[in-house]
Amino acid sequence: MDFKETGIGTIIETLGAWMLGVLWLLPVVFAFWSAFHPAEFSTRFELFAPLTLDNFVRAWSYAPFPRYLLNTFILVTLILAAQFVLCTLAAYGFARFEFFGKNVVFALVLLQLMIMPEVLLVENYRTISNLGLLDTIPAIGLPYMASAFGIFLLRQNFKTIPRELVEAAQVEGVSAVGILWKVYVPLSRSTYIAYGLVSVSYHWNNFLWPLVVTSSVNSRPLTVGLAIFGAPESGVDWSIITAATVMTMAPLLVAFILFQRQFVQSFMHSGIK
Amino acid sequence: MSKIILNNVCKSWGKIEVLSNINFECKNGELLVLLGPSGCGKSTTLRLIAGLETPTSGTVVIGDTDVSNLPPVKRNISMVFQNYALFPHLNVEENIIFGLKARKVPKKEQQKRLKDAAALLGLTEFMDRKPAQLSGGQRQRIALGRAIVAQVSVCLMDEPLSNLDAKLRQEMRQEIRSLQQRLKMTMIYVTHDQVEAMTIADKIILMKDGGIEQHGTPEDLYNRPATVFTGNFIGNPPMNILVPDDLIGEGCPSYSIPEAGCSLGIRPENIEISGDTGLEVSVLAIEYLGADSLIVCKAKEQSITLTVTGKTNIIVGDRLRLNWQQEHIHLFNSENGLRIEDLDGDKT
Repeated sequence: MDFKETGIGTIIETLGAWMLGVLWLLPVVFAFWSAFHPAEFSTRFELFAPLTLDNFVRAWSYAPFPRYLLNTFILVTLILAAQFVLCTLAAYGFARFEFFGKNVVFALVLLQLMIMPEVLLVENYRTISNLGLLDTIPAIGLPYMASAFGIFLLRQNFKTIPRELVEAAQVEGVSAVGILWKVYVPLSRSTYIAYGLVSVSYHWNNFLWPLVVTSSVNSRPLTVGLAIFGAPESGVDWSIITAATVMTMAPLLVAFILFQRQFVQSFMHSGIK
Repeated sequence: MSKIILNNVCKSWGKIEVLSNINFECKNGELLVLLGPSGCGKSTTLRLIAGLETPTSGTVVIGDTDVSNLPPVKRNISMVFQNYALFPHLNVEENIIFGLKARKVPKKEQQKRLKDAAALLGLTEFMDRKPAQLSGGQRQRIALGRAIVAQVSVCLMDEPLSNLDAKLRQEMRQEIRSLQQRLKMTMIYVTHDQVEAMTIADKIILMKDGGIEQHGTPEDLYNRPATVFTGNFIGNPPMNILVPDDLIGEGCPSYSIPEAGCSLGIRPENIEISGDTGLEVSVLAIEYLGADSLIVCKAKEQSITLTVTGKTNIIVGDRLRLNWQQEHIHLFNSENGLRIEDLDGDKT
């Protein structure tokens, strides 16, 4: 399309969009600025201030960041894999089969959507403790694996798949599991991508629960490690903190920039906006 | 042998009965069309035969086996759906052999059947395209291909042409017919389009409100409609249904009024315009169709349509006298709509 709308409304909208964008971007820009410059420039702006990677080297050596990174990586992979399996099966059940009490069970699942996980902090801690899993990576992931959001999202998507396709597969003798695998899952690819993105970024950034349930380097994810690293009692060195922050968010940022187009498309397809 | 027999089949959804006592037989190698307006139960009947629904009572027999309670795959059928049911993530080839893979047919055999079917349908050059990149007609062919490679003798079609434009529909229905005859398939074909049914069918079953209205050859349905509904449904424009009692004294041909309390059916193409005798009518509207014209007339409060060849000089408001031959009239009981046979012996 090559035409432009004019008028005061459009100008205000454009201004608003730019302001929100800049506001959102400022801390990120500051983090990058401070991370790549010597400490004396972290609160001072000078265009030709000398660049340095020294902050990264120091941050890397002060705290076990490789280990944190690995922990986070294992954590999000574990959660995502478990969520895909559990939510797919549950959503398939809700979308395609009739069983006694289906609506009640589905209402319970929806109810889970309305409860903030933080409310259950103590109860979850007790459960994990009873399971003897305190301070392990599965302990961080366990409360999130049967995701109500994932079940709901996939169920809605499964319901939009034309009945004809399922029946065509039935006529050819594909089993119920086969239909899930060969018809439902491939046709929901964009929903899986979109949900995967949401899940990974949520759990990459999750802080409170991991902080509560972990107590050693072996299980701490990046966010908790970063917080301990940046705690005031160890003295505030903005350069090092921002360097560590940049390291924390870099993998997600790079992934998003690389797959930007696919992400946006899959969000459009799956209807989450 | 792959004849299909339905015995006293009923189907209800809760308290609503959608099919009541359906009985028919489709012979081996026959193309049977289930015809009817939407909601008449024709698609449900097909789905019962396919095994996508189970009958509430009655039996479905395919070949010599009672398949009433078997799943679709055990019935040895193939099915073509209204919206083609192609998998958008698979290419043409994968779509066609989807069923063969599911049935674990050996790879070599799969490729052989695929090649044959593709050549037969002219799809060879599109093998690695996705369905979204193809036209409606080509998608329809893929769906046919999937039915062909299954190499089963019963093929069920659920309004396969309703998404195509008029020209393509005509081409495809000829193609389906010749394919059916070449491969000697027993085919049950659902449609709401009477032209499609008339041109393609060996036998037609006309359905209405969950029951069979008439079962016969296309000629039977056209020449000897068993009910007013059939008369109205088959033929374009539809048959005129008149109440002759009111037309006495208007010059209505006398053999049209054999007894009181019956309806008279007369097809538009059988009505002639005569000089001085016949039913007196006034012209309400004229529709020019190219090869012929429709003239809509009114006699008393009843509307009568007739067709004349080519363009006509008659204009709206003209008064005409209409006549017809005795052999062209159909009489129906006006209470139950059933055909009245043998009036005065010489009606066939």
